[in-house]
Amino acid sequence: MSNKNEKEFSVKRATRVNIGYHILLILIALIMVVPFIWTLSTSLKGQNEAVFSFPPQFIPGHPTFGNYAVVWNTLPIGRFLINSLILAVFGVALPVVLCSMAAFPLARMNFRGKNFVFMIIMGTMMIPGEVTMIPVYLIINKLGLMGNYAGIILPAAVPAMSIFLMRQGLLGIPKEMEESAIIDGAKVWQIFLHIMLPMVKPTLATMSILNFIGAWNNFLWPLLVLEDPNTYPLTLGLYKLQGTFVANTRMIAAGAIIALVPILAVFIFFQKYFIAAAYSSVIKG
Amino acid sequence: MYKAHHAWLFLAIPGILLLIFTVIPTVAALFLSFTNYNVFSPVGWVGLANYKQLIHDSNFWSAMKNTLTYWVLVTPALSILSIFLAVLVNRKMKGVSVYRLIYYFPVLVSVVVTAMLWKWMFQEDGIMNYLLSIFNIAPAKWLTSKSMVMPSLAIVTIWQGLGYYMLFYLAGLQSISEELYEAADLEGAGFWKKQFYITFPLLRPVIFFVVVVSTMSAFKEFTMMLTMTKGGPIGSSKTVVYMIYEKAFEQLDMGYASAISFALFLIILVLTLINQKFLDKDNQA
Repeated sequence: MSNKNEKEFSVKRATRVNIGYHILLILIALIMVVPFIWTLSTSLKGQNEAVFSFPPQFIPGHPTFGNYAVVWNTLPIGRFLINSLILAVFGVALPVVLCSMAAFPLARMNFRGKNFVFMIIMGTMMIPGEVTMIPVYLIINKLGLMGNYAGIILPAAVPAMSIFLMRQGLLGIPKEMEESAIIDGAKVWQIFLHIMLPMVKPTLATMSILNFIGAWNNFLWPLLVLEDPNTYPLTLGLYKLQGTFVANTRMIAAGAIIALVPILAVFIFFQKYFIAAAYSSVIKG
Repeated sequence: MYKAHHAWLFLAIPGILLLIFTVIPTVAALFLSFTNYNVFSPVGWVGLANYKQLIHDSNFWSAMKNTLTYWVLVTPALSILSIFLAVLVNRKMKGVSVYRLIYYFPVLVSVVVTAMLWKWMFQEDGIMNYLLSIFNIAPAKWLTSKSMVMPSLAIVTIWQGLGYYMLFYLAGLQSISEELYEAADLEGAGFWKKQFYITFPLLRPVIFFVVVVSTMSAFKEFTMMLTMTKGGPIGSSKTVVYMIYEKAFEQLDMGYASAISFALFLIILVLTLINQKFLDKDNQA
């Protein structure tokens, strides 16, 4: 038996395995996307087309953007989108600023009480948000933040997980970096801004992604805190929208697609950071 | 080079926020659980009365039963199926990263949109029943029958969570040396043998991590029930946290709700310790 034959045989076998492999992967992918495809197709269906049918109709007979126009014109979806965006911007920016500030002394300085502070911060990571939900609500109320975005943003402004990630990032910076800066007469805040932060850009990206997902999908706190429908983010707006259009699945589907597009766009654009963000939470575990 | 006051300057603002929205609420939750606080009348100390009431509260035990059912349906499936998903997408192959992204995307979808999508999937004449009809199975009452509602919700959770845990395993798999599998190939080991003797044992720390994380999130789940079933039919999908939410924010029985949340916290803690004993033996030696 020649070597060449053996090689050809294994190449053939490998392609066969590869095709079976792809079929399996595609099947799983279908399970993942069918609910989205169905919703997209429903949102494009005209009023006379059946939404539910056996077998399901995935391609609309007469595709129309009419449902989107109706939803957009009769509901403050644009307003909801802007509100979600505002909440997401603060939900990303505040932890970036505050958690890196908190992590800097914990990673780079020696001071009395450091271990105690670090222990408390790590301890809060063990406490589920569901346990503190009631007192946090009462405190928001006491501070007069009901109906106010501050009531949603402030309680989520300093996630312990982000402090932890930042501290890990900052610990990895070599000592020489700041020593030479100090010899050059740099101030502490200059070291922080110009030496420390640029070194941990990947960690900042990871943190931002994790907090973006959290802020964009936040549903419970807007539900508890907000009263005026004009201030609703998309999640809460859609939740309430189900009540107004109960009978019209096509329009709710259009609303769902409007809510999905921004997160899909961000995901495709920043995909490598999303994956890195997930990886870094493993390292924690 | 750094002085103590530098450290405290950086820690001040994040520290105060952490104190107000995490540390104080934790203590306050414990305190409230010994009171009859209900927003309207002043706080009255009732000692262990809330906890005694809890033990005899059939609603609590039924919520606990629902939570445990959900956990048993969700955590093993998520912990095991996502290993296979990770093994599938761990090949060096063209296009494999596209599959990873597709499998991961549902993770990013907000609970409100997920609820909409799957309520349609579960409709009487929706896709799930169509799938059953292909195999000549009578349509199921996915969300409207007492026995089906928890398994149906578990399907949604598994659909949404697989990609999340897949990434954890993927990170773990990439740290396993290729040579081990090559050696196994030389010994003539098949696919399953390789998984059982190489993949699973070496992934043990990650499996532990996934079991703990998915257990915690299973015990804390309630927004999915709130948005999909309102806890119904007849309370059969009402989880413990759902009950906390209802007691605290609909019936304003904050003292009793705090007692439930502390009981839940203790249960999560005990489960985590048990998990640790069973799955993390290596690390204790």
